[in-house]
Amino acid sequence: MDKKPLLIAEHIDKRFGITHAVNDVSLTIDAGEIRGLIGENGSGKSTFSQMLCGIYTIGGGSFTLDGEKLHIRNQVEANNVGIAIIVQEMGTLSGLTVAENIFLGHEEPFMHFGIKDTGAMNREAQRLLNEYGFGRIKAADMIDHYNFEDRKLVEIVKATYSKPKILVVDETTTALSQNGRLELYKIMDAVRADNRTVIFISHDLGEVLAHTDSVSVLRDGEYIDTVRSSDVTEDDLKRLMVGREIGSAYYRTDYGQKISEEVVLKVENVSVPKEIRNISFSLHKGEILGFGGLSECGMHEVGKAIFGASWDRSGSVTLADGTVISNIPTAIRHSIAYASKDRDNESIILNESIRNNVVLPSIDDLANRGLLNQRKLTQFAEKHAADMQTKMQNVNQFVSDLSGGNKQKVVLARWIGKGSDILVLDSPTRGIDVKVKQAIYALMSELKEQGKSIIMISEEIPELLGMADRILIMKDGVINGEFLRHPELSEEDLIEKMV
Amino acid sequence: MNNETIREPSRFRDKLRAFFGSDSFKGLLPFIGLVVIIIVMNILTQGKILTAKRLRLLLSQVYYPMIVATGVFFVMTLGSIDFTEGSTLGLASIVISKLSFYSIPLAILGGILTGAAIGAINGFFHVKFKLQSFIITICTMYLFRGVCAYMTTETAVPASAAIKALDQNWLKITITVAVLVIAWFLFRFTRIGNDVKAVGSGETAARFSGVHTDRVKFLVFVAAGALTGLAAFVNVIKVGSITSTAGNQLETQILISLVLGGLPITGGAKVRFSNIVVGTLMYTILNNGLVMMGFESQTQQLIKGIIFLLFVALTIDRKALKVIK
Repeated sequence: MDKKPLLIAEHIDKRFGITHAVNDVSLTIDAGEIRGLIGENGSGKSTFSQMLCGIYTIGGGSFTLDGEKLHIRNQVEANNVGIAIIVQEMGTLSGLTVAENIFLGHEEPFMHFGIKDTGAMNREAQRLLNEYGFGRIKAADMIDHYNFEDRKLVEIVKATYSKPKILVVDETTTALSQNGRLELYKIMDAVRADNRTVIFISHDLGEVLAHTDSVSVLRDGEYIDTVRSSDVTEDDLKRLMVGREIGSAYYRTDYGQKISEEVVLKVENVSVPKEIRNISFSLHKGEILGFGGLSECGMHEVGKAIFGASWDRSGSVTLADGTVISNIPTAIRHSIAYASKDRDNESIILNESIRNNVVLPSIDDLANRGLLNQRKLTQFAEKHAADMQTKMQNVNQFVSDLSGGNKQKVVLARWIGKGSDILVLDSPTRGIDVKVKQAIYALMSELKEQGKSIIMISEEIPELLGMADRILIMKDGVINGEFLRHPELSEEDLIEKMV
Repeated sequence: MNNETIREPSRFRDKLRAFFGSDSFKGLLPFIGLVVIIIVMNILTQGKILTAKRLRLLLSQVYYPMIVATGVFFVMTLGSIDFTEGSTLGLASIVISKLSFYSIPLAILGGILTGAAIGAINGFFHVKFKLQSFIITICTMYLFRGVCAYMTTETAVPASAAIKALDQNWLKITITVAVLVIAWFLFRFTRIGNDVKAVGSGETAARFSGVHTDRVKFLVFVAAGALTGLAAFVNVIKVGSITSTAGNQLETQILISLVLGGLPITGGAKVRFSNIVVGTLMYTILNNGLVMMGFESQTQQLIKGIIFLLFVALTIDRKALKVIK
């Protein structure tokens, strides 16, 4: 096939204050290819693609698309020259209908003398949705009626219906279930078949290798290399990303360890309306108990219920000593920690310093007869942030400036600092690069050794198989299967109970 | 070698830009503003504002707004807003005046309880019905303004001679300083300050960190009301009789003062206790200067509006911007 360069990036550069986010990156992407773009958190891949899409201004250098130099000032202009992006977090607007979201910024075809023809817009949107095979989403509905995943699908339609020359998919798959992912891959393949181009950003290296033609690697804002996907393995990619060999000790390697008889937490008949029904199980000392299932199966609510954070919970959560957990302060006081899947809203306060985030749950322990010693708080935060090897300037830095992996380190630092004995970790490695992932797994093993108990809720099956002593699979709000750690346990075994 | 010399100026510019964009510079802005306002006002009034007599007058206008601002500071740190100070001050002043004929301590207590009750109403609706403080306090502002007007329709409400005899600077200074010191202590050295800031920076995350968010919000509104009630006492000993205009527009005065003092209207992590003192002083000096320069009250409002607008535009933290709770 005759490939010609579609996009040429020359000496692209970007600084945020003292951070050199993208450092002199030059690369070329052909028409009709799916190009993976990988790198650790903070390697500059999102910044790079967001400059291309007009979300950030270009700090230096230039993009040339189809032989023409780009002068993009915002996302709409990028759209007009044929560049579209599906972003990592929520990219649809609440309070608008599905159709209004799809045609946001492109309402002209439906405007007659300044009046919007809503009917025509809805019909066109519905036609597109049907064409993509998402007919169950209704164009005239408010977008708020749909869950995170469906909203992502709407976003996909919005980004691709105009047939952009370049489609940027920025870590979209972390928000999607297996089905949603398959839909997305199909669309990516269609774009390629049409001799257009996809830039695919993901942390899931298996996925990257399976669905791209070539992969470009960034590290610390610098361009490292571009390789053909068929020529390399995941380990090769990891090595390029990290710049050194990643050890084989990724997951736990021990099998056949006996789980302690000692029960530390008992959950009995816990229900939350519309979420979970009659959940009962026991957590043992030193156990890593995995929860798996499809993203809507209710397992995320189980974490909240244990932590006393559910709004309308029935049933009981009791500790070994008989303490009943019914609200968050009680849970924290009795040594339960919780890291939410919704990290930015529930696990940490974004507009607050690392220091205050780390000390917040431990504030009563750090107070001396109700009085706080500010220096002691700073030392406490410094110690635990450093123990977690959080990448930061100092503890006064705001959490909003940190990358996903570093945010999660702050979350873990606060609970390690609190010394919690029972850790409920919901999607602990969501959107996190290999190096930090490895660190988190190592930490979990270490905590287990210390006799702490962990509930790990995860949508990633390999993670469950690799780390958990025991796995509970949920489906439609109830526990649908239980597995013990075993080397022969396969992904298929678990999936069978999920769907 | 060559490279180095070429890069030097741009690096300097970077540093300069980094400094002016930095939080430490933004934190300094109110202090710089205070000094600038003092100097400008001093020049424009030909030095009259810095005379001993003027300063005494100026000081006498600072006490009760500063006490009120201390309470509102906590409300705004939550990321909420309170528009009831004016009507609370009016109503509490009436209660204090009436009770002052029986017993002074009873009058003070009555004033504080009146304020606390109004704060409790605000807090209750804010917490239990999840209504935005903005909406509730505008409603309660009108409500209690109405009550005030009703109670002062016939004639102004006089206070007893005994309470007027207390109009002495040492007492007012003592009360104001005591309020500031206690509030500063609670804000900086106890869990209260931490909790209030945490709710302001991110309520959901604060709840998940074990902060009793509802309790904190309710108590802050009650405390703000109670402090306004205490301020009403200082007001009564100064003015002696209460008319329907008592505390009129106090809420906007306090809001402007705190924002001039550098308090981000979004609340949260970047508030500083000094915002209260610097802001109230700035507002009072500005106000007095404009009066002394002989501006009409309409022109004064115009100028204050422009300065307020400039300050908000300069100091607001656009990253944390969201609807005020």
